[in-house]
Amino acid sequence: MQLGAARVFERWAAGWARRRQGADTHAVELRRRRIYVLPTRFGVVFAAMVFAMLLGSLNYGASLGFTLTFLLASLGFVAMHHCHNNLLGAEIKFLGAAPVFAGERAEFKIAVGNGSATPRLEIELNRGDHTAGPTDVGPGATETLRLGMPTERRGSAVLERFRVETRYPARVFRAWTWVHMDARCLVYPRPAAPGRPLPLSAADGAAGVSRTGDDDFAGLRSASPGDPPQRIAWKAYARNDVLLLKEFSGGTQEPCMLDWDMLPDLDTEERLSQLTRWCLDADAAGRSLGLVLPGNAIPLGAGPKHLAACLEALALFRLPQ
Amino acid sequence: MTAVLMQRSIELPLEVRRLLWTAAIVVSASLPHWSTLTPWMPVLLLTAVTYRLTIALRRWPLPPRILRIAAALAAFVAVLFEYRTLNGASAGSALLVVMVALKFVESRSQRDELVLVMLCYFLIFASALTERGPLWAAYVVMLIWLTTVALLNIGRRGELLPHRTAALTSGRLLLHALPLAIALFVLFPRLPGPLWAIPGSTSSGATGLSETMSPGDITNLGLSDEIAFRVEFDGLPPRADALYWRGPSLTTFNGRTWSMLQGTRRGERVADSTEYRGDPTTYRVMLDPNGQNWAFALDMAARWSGNNNLRMGSDYQLGTFFGAPRSRRIEYTVTSYVDYRAREPLTSNEIEMFRRLPDDTNPRARALAQSWIVDDPSGATIIARAMDYLRSQPFFYTLTPPALGAQPVDEFLFETREGFCEHYASAMTALLRAAGLPARVVMGYQGGELNAFGGYYIVRQSDAHAWTEVWLEDEGWVRVDAVAAVAPERVALGSTRYGSDRGFIASAVLGNTWLRQAMLAWDTMNTRWRTWVLGYGPEVQRALLDRLGFGGLRRAQRSAVLFGLAIVATVLFLAGLSGYLAWRKRHRSDVDPAAACFARFTRRLARLRVRPPAAGEGPRVYAEHAATALPHVAIEVRTIVELYLRARYEPDTDGLSLAELEKQVAAFRPAQA
Repeated sequence: MQLGAARVFERWAAGWARRRQGADTHAVELRRRRIYVLPTRFGVVFAAMVFAMLLGSLNYGASLGFTLTFLLASLGFVAMHHCHNNLLGAEIKFLGAAPVFAGERAEFKIAVGNGSATPRLEIELNRGDHTAGPTDVGPGATETLRLGMPTERRGSAVLERFRVETRYPARVFRAWTWVHMDARCLVYPRPAAPGRPLPLSAADGAAGVSRTGDDDFAGLRSASPGDPPQRIAWKAYARNDVLLLKEFSGGTQEPCMLDWDMLPDLDTEERLSQLTRWCLDADAAGRSLGLVLPGNAIPLGAGPKHLAACLEALALFRLPQ
Repeated sequence: MTAVLMQRSIELPLEVRRLLWTAAIVVSASLPHWSTLTPWMPVLLLTAVTYRLTIALRRWPLPPRILRIAAALAAFVAVLFEYRTLNGASAGSALLVVMVALKFVESRSQRDELVLVMLCYFLIFASALTERGPLWAAYVVMLIWLTTVALLNIGRRGELLPHRTAALTSGRLLLHALPLAIALFVLFPRLPGPLWAIPGSTSSGATGLSETMSPGDITNLGLSDEIAFRVEFDGLPPRADALYWRGPSLTTFNGRTWSMLQGTRRGERVADSTEYRGDPTTYRVMLDPNGQNWAFALDMAARWSGNNNLRMGSDYQLGTFFGAPRSRRIEYTVTSYVDYRAREPLTSNEIEMFRRLPDDTNPRARALAQSWIVDDPSGATIIARAMDYLRSQPFFYTLTPPALGAQPVDEFLFETREGFCEHYASAMTALLRAAGLPARVVMGYQGGELNAFGGYYIVRQSDAHAWTEVWLEDEGWVRVDAVAAVAPERVALGSTRYGSDRGFIASAVLGNTWLRQAMLAWDTMNTRWRTWVLGYGPEVQRALLDRLGFGGLRRAQRSAVLFGLAIVATVLFLAGLSGYLAWRKRHRSDVDPAAACFARFTRRLARLRVRPPAAGEGPRVYAEHAATALPHVAIEVRTIVELYLRARYEPDTDGLSLAELEKQVAAFRPAQA
């Protein structure tokens, strides 16, 4: 209940800040006027403790007690300024987000740059309940954080705003700023469950999704989301931590032309999902592929870039720009 | 055990390392309290810490909740049983230590650890409620620094800071906090009294002079070197043999014990009938808490200031009589005249009281005094006869006199004839009373030692003294020091330089050595500390305001002005700090991190006698040179140089090359070829 009120308040405050500071470009340097500081819950308890110390010192008239009380009180104030200063001048840059399929987690790559000669410690990014970091950015260094966001539907996942915040040092204060960048992540339609075979060309009746043993191993390429797991080079992954896809040549591959009209029994989203599945399957099978959508046609082609173009067309199909 | 674990901390899981930091501060923050705690409490704490760390290392489960609650209740009751209260500094600290021990056992999240940090800060604070010297203050500030180091680590999510970074950051934070802390210390308005009653005075037990005197009972007067008070003269001090610091007077005598008058005579002196002569002496007294409400001043004090509660009692003694025994040190300024006539008119009742001797005691002394009256009843003559008697008979001044029996004055005067100031004062007063003169014993201090470093006098418990005061009709109260008849050097030189039989006093043993000089220098520092830090209070603030041009304000107004000044100082300081920090951050990092890393690498090679890169020499040329010089690490050298070139000159948004370079350089620790 209370949390809900806090969230409403935060939304209001962020909106106010947005009106105040305007939209941000893809690279912003954090200036003084947009950095806000408030004590954390720990900071409030810390302040209460210092106040109790003050009462104790007053009562006992203890000079050493006063010394420690005031030392800790000003330590709190100093921490506030260090906290604020930890963000001041940091450069926030949106580095892009790799496209995902609907239902997957979009990851916005955001770089925190530190051009100053002193480190910036414990910087984190926040979007609602999702947190990236914290990370320490050394002098002159840049650290990249990935801010996650669940996706539901195809199209563009928009990172309306996020917080850059820090609780360094000593966790008594939290300094933050809201960043409103036009950060988008392309979301492909959710691939339909495998099942429907690729539409067959007349000549090649036997060619399906499954591979036959007589194909020759042709090499590795980097894997992308949606690739069939049975073709991932897991041994190579165990060695290098990089997902690679085995590619095969051989066999006579018919080009695969996918058409919107091939699926009259499905509604729009289901069709898009099925076409997405077919695109992936065709690419996995090493077949060249083309796509015909109402008002948009992609000629035959192959390779990751071509696949991405097809998927993007499916993602943005009939969406208002 | 902690130290061993700290060395191995690299391999320990993060959770254990966080716990280790917490354990370090929990133990160190409670350390100042150990001497005042009942022994089982530190034992409980150490057991709790060891137990919890073992649990963490062995991955045992935490003890069940019901057990922890039971332990907390048991500890609570044990503290209550030990102290009979939970109020007050010592019981509070004990409870805090026990709470910290139990909280540590059940600590398993960042939140628990942060609570412990808070409790540690409070424990350290509690140890600063009693008055301590500058070394203690430094120790306590060091503890604050250590706790802040731990907070910087515990407050993080994820990996801890490198030790060096954490230590430096904590130091920097405290250093930045220092100016404001000092300003607030000076400006924050202080209160003259406590907000609520302080249970159990912090400095328990009276030290120094006692309220009664029974010379016959003491056979070995162990005087301590402890400092009673310090005096700073404004101008030249009076002669050494005039340094009589007056304390309480003892009037009631039962034949063996002298004690203070109770009741009406303990009122405040109202009418000042004293006549002052000669030059005034003005001085400032810095008096430590003595568990009494007495204060000391040179005979005879005419005016005093600096403490509103200071009054003169009817027996000319200064003191803060209308309050509880002091637990705080006080400072006050007195103007005295060593030449005076205390012409107090006594009523016949009072005269009778000051002449009272128990009838059935000390018959020989009374007979002796009676014989003097017959010859010449004038007061001056009788005093002279009494002094003569002490001088002509073989009396000795000693701190180890024999014990006296039922008639102590008689035995001392006619048999043992050995004693210290109390014996002489007691005997002299009894003799004068027997001769019909109103007389009393005055206790106080005589003399003092000049601390040449600080330019002030130190009066120690070993300077304690007792003398007689006799009332003569036309002169008032006159001081008669019987010790002056027997051991005049004691009065002329003071206790420090007087004598053989006082060898057990440290100050006498040390003589005038460098060690003594060092001790005096240290005392000077302590005294300044006491004046400027411990003694800083409402009176000093008032003087400060007077100097700033805010004289003549009421107390509430003074507080308001001080509070305003404190706020102004805070705002100014914070603005300055903010500007300074922003200026520091604007200082751009012009060193490429890859270049800095490479420089580290070449320095490490230089230590192995590989010459640094020449001006204009490319990294690859340098790499070949280094590889030739150290063939056993040629591969590593070439790898690092290639990584450096990639990190430095190729676009590297992810910083992967740089990270790899840093990793490789950190791991590059070649042995001598």
